[in-house]
Amino acid sequence: MDTKRECYLLLLAGAVLLAGVLAVSLAGGAPDYRALGAAAGLALAWPVAHFALRRAGHLGDGLLLPLAAVLTALGLIMVFRLKPGLFMVQALWAAFGLAAFLGSAFFFRQAERWSEYKYFWGLAGIALLLATALFGVDIGGNKNWLFIGPVHFQPSEFAKLFIVLFLAAYLNERREVLTFATRRYGPLIFPQPRIMAPLLAVWGLAMLMLVGQRDLGAALLYFGTATVMIYLASGRAGYLLWGAGMFLVGSVLAYALYPHVRARIDIWLDPWADPSGRAYQVVQSLFALGSGGALGSGLGYGFPGLVPEVHTDFIFAAIGEELGLAGAGAVMMLYILLVYRAFRAALLATSPFRALLAGGLAVLLALQVLVIVGGVTKFLPLTGVTLPLVSYGGSSVVATFILLGMVLAMSEKRPADA
Amino acid sequence: MLDSLRASIRRTAFALLGLLAVLFLYLSYIQVVQSDYLAGHPLNRRTAAAAEKVERGTVFDRRGEKLAFSKKDGEGRYVRHYPYGAIAAHVVGYSSPRYGQSGVESAFNGELSGMNNPERRFGPITGLWTAKAGNSITLTLDGDLQETAYRALGNRRGAVVAIAPRSGAVLVMVSRPAFEPEAVDEDWKEIVGADGSPLLNRAVQGLYPPGSTLKVLVAEAALTEKITDNRKTYDCPGSFKIGPDYVLNESNNTAHGKVDLEEALAVSCNVTFGRLSLELGRNRMAKAFDRFAFARPFGGDFAEASSRLPDFGRLGDGDLAQTGIGQGSLLVTPLRMAMLAAAFADRGTMLKPFLVSRVSAPDGAVLRQFGSVEFAAATSPATAAEVSRMMQQVVSSGTGYAARIGGVKVAGKTGTAENPHGAPHAWFIGFAPAEEPEIAVAVVVENGGAGGEVAAPIARQVMARALR
Repeated sequence: MDTKRECYLLLLAGAVLLAGVLAVSLAGGAPDYRALGAAAGLALAWPVAHFALRRAGHLGDGLLLPLAAVLTALGLIMVFRLKPGLFMVQALWAAFGLAAFLGSAFFFRQAERWSEYKYFWGLAGIALLLATALFGVDIGGNKNWLFIGPVHFQPSEFAKLFIVLFLAAYLNERREVLTFATRRYGPLIFPQPRIMAPLLAVWGLAMLMLVGQRDLGAALLYFGTATVMIYLASGRAGYLLWGAGMFLVGSVLAYALYPHVRARIDIWLDPWADPSGRAYQVVQSLFALGSGGALGSGLGYGFPGLVPEVHTDFIFAAIGEELGLAGAGAVMMLYILLVYRAFRAALLATSPFRALLAGGLAVLLALQVLVIVGGVTKFLPLTGVTLPLVSYGGSSVVATFILLGMVLAMSEKRPADA
Repeated sequence: MLDSLRASIRRTAFALLGLLAVLFLYLSYIQVVQSDYLAGHPLNRRTAAAAEKVERGTVFDRRGEKLAFSKKDGEGRYVRHYPYGAIAAHVVGYSSPRYGQSGVESAFNGELSGMNNPERRFGPITGLWTAKAGNSITLTLDGDLQETAYRALGNRRGAVVAIAPRSGAVLVMVSRPAFEPEAVDEDWKEIVGADGSPLLNRAVQGLYPPGSTLKVLVAEAALTEKITDNRKTYDCPGSFKIGPDYVLNESNNTAHGKVDLEEALAVSCNVTFGRLSLELGRNRMAKAFDRFAFARPFGGDFAEASSRLPDFGRLGDGDLAQTGIGQGSLLVTPLRMAMLAAAFADRGTMLKPFLVSRVSAPDGAVLRQFGSVEFAAATSPATAAEVSRMMQQVVSSGTGYAARIGGVKVAGKTGTAENPHGAPHAWFIGFAPAEEPEIAVAVVVENGGAGGEVAAPIARQVMARALR
């Protein structure tokens, strides 16, 4: 991948953003010059970021930023279409995200050095989560918001990254113990309890989030990512069995104890039993996707407003309605490429720690897309997480950009390493 | 060291990318295969929401009177108005953003809403040629005649259907109790819960025993199969014993004495028609129903309930005789009885009834036209003329006396159908003028009593108004 192509692709992403914002604002009557100005600023900022990266000698994967830029562009266009009043805020977050991407791309070049502070990362992640559990504010049914002065953000978006960083470092040091110091009974393996501690800790954290904050989606992401990372480090499928078993126990307990979990499952099994009540959101989402068909109604010509929370968790349904399978499929393809590039970075990484970190981040990204796209299409039970880079919400956008910056750093194959 | 790590990363990548690919396929399934089902689902408010942005087409009657039209309300949304209100509620139907459509509003929803274009699949490009307003529909219905029939039926439950026999055009389709189509949104629960199911279009969905009106069919069959002619006489002692344990009675146990076919029809003699049915037998009776196409659906403009014919092969003698006088398990719709009368009026040819004569674009250009289509060659012109002559006797000197119109020859047949729900249903079918028929009618009044007293005067008012 030569860097010229990265620049072309970024210009294309900028063109997509400008064309989309222009189309939406023209459909509403007069062009909105403020929004167009913000879009032009971002369209310019992306190639500038590219030059900054490459001039500084960064050799990371040249596809990551263009893919992220196109997804951000589509997200911004949809936010502008759905909630024009939130567009400027989201554009600002996208700019912050870009800066965070650059920062993280350079910061994690010395990933090995930072990995020595693994317990700091782990504790920071836990502290962030505990802070929300203690001081969290309930917005839209999820008690996972923190207010610091005028800014409110969702710490669990950032805590994910800390936990992945911690796990990568911790598991990397214990790979041999994980792989060999186990007793086996058939397909079941019994590792030393000490080794299992992080898994149990994350499981506990996930359960805490589930119980304390009703954040089913985040709980699923944490636990899924931790389980798969232990598998990556050990190469032993037995850990996946353990993970699945603990997940099953957790789910059964949650199903038995919590009505909101039970409701989600019931809705998933048969949304048509109560289409105007509990299953309203999912059913409306399916209507939006179905009405969009192959080519969609066209930007501004659909009725995505009928889907509750359409600009955050359900933005994928709005894309499916107005841009059709052509648009929603494109978004899926972009994520598939992004996840593929992240795994590729993991496979080509020069050290086990970098491979684990990139792999863990790829798993996290893939799981998040699976959970939310699966949720709005009724492929899986619905759990509220954001669609990375596309949903409205600053914490999610910035955190995803940091994640991609880390992947970019891991994908770098510097001449010195070779 | 790195190799084993890479192996597990590769496996995980395959698994997760595979799952994402499966999700992609599932998304395609929803947006392509399930698209029509989800887009057209009754709970999907998109069609209604889109409809509020488009001016729905107007529904006209045959004279150009508006039966339904759309007008913008204060908030710029289109709202549907129905000048005839409850009078034409069942035919025209309602169009509600919440409860969907019925009647013509439903059957021609695609045309009226301007959203019948299959180009929906072309996505945003359709915006280039989607209409700003829906197409208009012109019905064969006569608003004035419809109102006459509605008022004539009064507050009784029942239905009136009138057809132009030489084209099959439906002139009148009244069903009572009715509802106010404009009030559907507000009063839905009351309307749905009301006594007598006001949403039911009795003209095409009400199933009734036809009673003695069916005797015209048996008379036709007896003539066609040459079982009898008008010289042969039958003796009516007031009742007719069939088999060991079944007795067919005249109403009021009146003995009609010696009667020929014409007299038997005029006085509606159960004994004679019971006898004729037995002489015809199961096969030829079944054939007669088949010729008049009772069981054949015609689709198109109506959501018709199909008539219930007895299984002739298994019918006992008593039940066969019952069928011959329009009782037993036989159930028909008022529309089918109007078609029966119209077939005799139109020299034995049964035409397909139709309600919509044309579809026009908002600028008035005619897009589609509908006209006469033969539905069944029911009987020969000679036999039709013979039955028609006998039906005139019914009105001039028989039970259909109350359907007489000064200066016009009227053909008809009354019916008083016994039923398990109380007093008999009053029936009248007929047409006028008998020589050059312009209108054929069927009237049923639920639990109304004697057909000659209750249904015939209603038919008379409708026919008189039409011939005025």
